[in-house]
Amino acid sequence: MTATAQTPRRTATPDRTVTFRIKRCDGPGKPSYWQDFRVKVPKNSNVISCLQQIAAEPVTAGGERVTPVVWDSGCLEEVCGACTMVINGKVRQSCSCLIDDYAPADGDVITLEPMSKFPVVRDLWVDRSRLFHNLARIKAWVPIDGTYDLGAGPKETPASQATHYVLSTCMSCGCCLEACPQFNLEEDRDQWDSSFIGAHAISQARLFNAHPTGSELKPDRLDVLMGEGGVNDCGNAQNCVQVCPKHIPLTESIASIGRQVTLHAISKFFRG
Amino acid sequence: MRLVTVAPALPANFYWNRTVTQAETSAPNAGFMARHYFLLRRLHSLSGIVPIGLFLINHLLTNSSAAWGILASRESEHSGSWAMRGFEYFWKEVRWINTQVPNLILIEVALWGAIAFHSILGFYYAATGSVNTDRYAYQGNWRYRLQRISGYLGILFIFYHVATLRWGWTFLVPGGTQWSQDFAASTLAMVLRGGSSGITFAGLAVSLAYFLGVTLLVFHFANGLWTAAITWGITISANSQRRFGYACFGLGAAMMLMGWISIFTFLVADPAKVREVETRLGSPRAVAVQAGDK
Repeated sequence: MTATAQTPRRTATPDRTVTFRIKRCDGPGKPSYWQDFRVKVPKNSNVISCLQQIAAEPVTAGGERVTPVVWDSGCLEEVCGACTMVINGKVRQSCSCLIDDYAPADGDVITLEPMSKFPVVRDLWVDRSRLFHNLARIKAWVPIDGTYDLGAGPKETPASQATHYVLSTCMSCGCCLEACPQFNLEEDRDQWDSSFIGAHAISQARLFNAHPTGSELKPDRLDVLMGEGGVNDCGNAQNCVQVCPKHIPLTESIASIGRQVTLHAISKFFRG
Repeated sequence: MRLVTVAPALPANFYWNRTVTQAETSAPNAGFMARHYFLLRRLHSLSGIVPIGLFLINHLLTNSSAAWGILASRESEHSGSWAMRGFEYFWKEVRWINTQVPNLILIEVALWGAIAFHSILGFYYAATGSVNTDRYAYQGNWRYRLQRISGYLGILFIFYHVATLRWGWTFLVPGGTQWSQDFAASTLAMVLRGGSSGITFAGLAVSLAYFLGVTLLVFHFANGLWTAAITWGITISANSQRRFGYACFGLGAAMMLMGWISIFTFLVADPAKVREVETRLGSPRAVAVQAGDK
């Protein structure tokens, strides 16, 4: 799938020094600048372990002592999405990015940038609030909050479970949004509801529309998705499915929601 | 010992403190574009196929008849040589469109309206996108970018094409050729060649513009047909999208071939010889015979 999987793995030079070229920013609204750090990488290092080394000894390649580089991370096993950043120009999780693959030779350079589609909090740490806001826009949940026991839910068949499991593996990391030419940085919260909602939310709408109980909210979700910033704003560049670390069939979700919205509109025309 | 969790206060506008309501998404004071968002989006998609795409197929079929008409046309007393038979076929096709199709001007105005609608909304929608093919050089991403470039350049070409050949803006044509339905083939050859004698550089530039314009517009149509099937939810699985992609590629390739052959055929035509055939075809007797044929 990825370039690293296709090319045979080169053996990494032991005890080598790798340069990390990091795009830094001191705070929201402040200008960005680049700094190089030389890190002596042990075997099996990943980007996070190297950032930890930089934090312990924040000295640039030019010998200047600077503030430690800030980043966001959580699970360190590619299931939380917090450490997503742009590495060598492409978005991915930094915890699963192995230095032996990316910089096998002494003196190799790895560039780290924060995602460009979300406002930077500091250095490599971005504020992904809009991503979660967009999940709320389409009510990406199953409505079970009530005052009484609803009893057992409707049955799921193994076949539909198999189809929907992969959709449920979305970790809200933001890769699909970073690579999407239709999803762009929007710092004005008042514009969020009319800007493109993103592949992740469209795919979650498909998941919860397919859920026997979650489908109760299907009309609400489709109303939002047929409006401004909904599924029609997709430009079919299909970058989302290429960069999704969970291999979620996002473009199939977009087409599926496209069909649901088409039928919803016809239904509304005659009944609504 | 009591454990006390100290959590920072969330800002009042934190995402889960806001809920999106029905009223909010379809506010009555929203603009026309927002209120009819879905309808306009889907009309934009549809208008690219019907009528514009269907017309484009028909247009390229007619134009390329100057080449394949050699095979299709019957022996004719007017053409003389076999090479002229294609131009005769093309001449008759154009004659038929301009004399037999009812309400041609209404059809044309509707078509121009559809193109204006599709392009104006297209500009508006394309403005919401961005370019990142440098980082994500996937084939799909390049097609996304080319779709927009071909839209921008394509509408310029359509305007030049219609203005010069239909509205008679001859000051934009090298050699100042006025296209005429009575001399449909020879005047078209003169436009593409830059005059009635040999091929000029200005004529080659016009031909190149036609080559690029036709290529970009056919790509725009074929790729747009492919994305429309996703937009409307016709091709859902990745496999079906790939299969329909082959179909759209085949259609696009066939249409490009028709466009290129048309340009080449008129570029290499001898306008004087074609005009002789057209003059014979346009004589009162020949017109009467043709009207009887139809």
